[in-house]
Amino acid sequence: MPLDDLEQALAGLAAAPPARVFDRITARWTRATSPLGDVDVAYTEHGVAWLRPAALGTLAEEFKARFARPLLRTDHPPAALTDALATGDGGGLDYDLTWLTPFASSVLSAARTIPRGQVRPYTWIAERIGNPKAVRAVGSALGHNPVPLLIPCHRIVRADGLGQYIFGVDAKTTLLRGEGAIE
Amino acid sequence: MSRPDDPVPILDALREDLDTGFAGLYDAYRVYVHTVALRATGSPADAEDLTAETFLRAYRSLISTRPPDLDTLQPRAWLLTIALNTLRNDRRTKARKPPPGPLDNAPDRCDPTQNPARAAEQNETARELAARLALLPERQREAVVLRHVLDLPIAEIAQVLGVPEGTAKSHVSRGLAALRVHHREAVNAAR
Repeated sequence: MPLDDLEQALAGLAAAPPARVFDRITARWTRATSPLGDVDVAYTEHGVAWLRPAALGTLAEEFKARFARPLLRTDHPPAALTDALATGDGGGLDYDLTWLTPFASSVLSAARTIPRGQVRPYTWIAERIGNPKAVRAVGSALGHNPVPLLIPCHRIVRADGLGQYIFGVDAKTTLLRGEGAIE
Repeated sequence: MSRPDDPVPILDALREDLDTGFAGLYDAYRVYVHTVALRATGSPADAEDLTAETFLRAYRSLISTRPPDLDTLQPRAWLLTIALNTLRNDRRTKARKPPPGPLDNAPDRCDPTQNPARAAEQNETARELAARLALLPERQREAVVLRHVLDLPIAEIAQVLGVPEGTAKSHVSRGLAALRVHHREAVNAAR
């Protein structure tokens, strides 16, 4: 039996979603060179979300534990991201960090203001965020920075030495030497 | 639209690699989910939200500690069920939204080469039809969309709506009959 006009018109109401819907569901990851060597970086439609050294191989697991979204590899990341990774300067990037606690978020925001080639003590961050006694918590928040390198938590040091780093003190030394912050 | 629903390659791809397989799942069923979302919400922006939320919930179900069994999963019915459940949950938890209105971005379909009476029928534009579809009772609208917009078999519609097949069939025919009355009125008015 042929379809009548009404049925034909109804069949014409099917509609594909705009392409941007797929980007709201899936995140992308890419591998790029950086001052830390090869790094894996995940980003969502809101911005850079996670960064780990490629050698660790933990990017997907850690990203998904937090975001619970599919993560697809791309060989065509935004140019701004590749540039930022090459130079280690992530100041101009957008980040997807809304899941952080307000405290951790303020710590990382403060860390972003430290220029390349300079370092600050942990107490400086604590004072800057209006919580001068929270030095230990500042260290913890920096240690859980989901996007190290781009948000330069390596530029926060102890008064009597470099202090810890999420990827080890050797990596911290390399980064700060490369930036001319230490000899 | 009528595309045979063969979920086997899609499920195989999900088993092979969940994330790239999920991209295939999205590609295969995005039109189904989005069409249901658009006809249910009446708003392109809300339909995008609901489509994204549906697929995210589906993914989270797949990575959960109690994922659906891929050997028996019917992905299209599963996704459409998630979409309708999400819609009803949203309605319960959020402030109630106004019912779907006549505004959407369905294209007009009009062929000026037809004779006037025929053209009047064709002038039954997608926009007007969508508006009248929006005025049907919810279950009838969903049933008509699943049957006549998306070409699903009655058994699958019953599964998605969570009703017996006879009830699903009845929702479809009542909804279609109501639309047909309006359709004739529109055509006669144009004559």
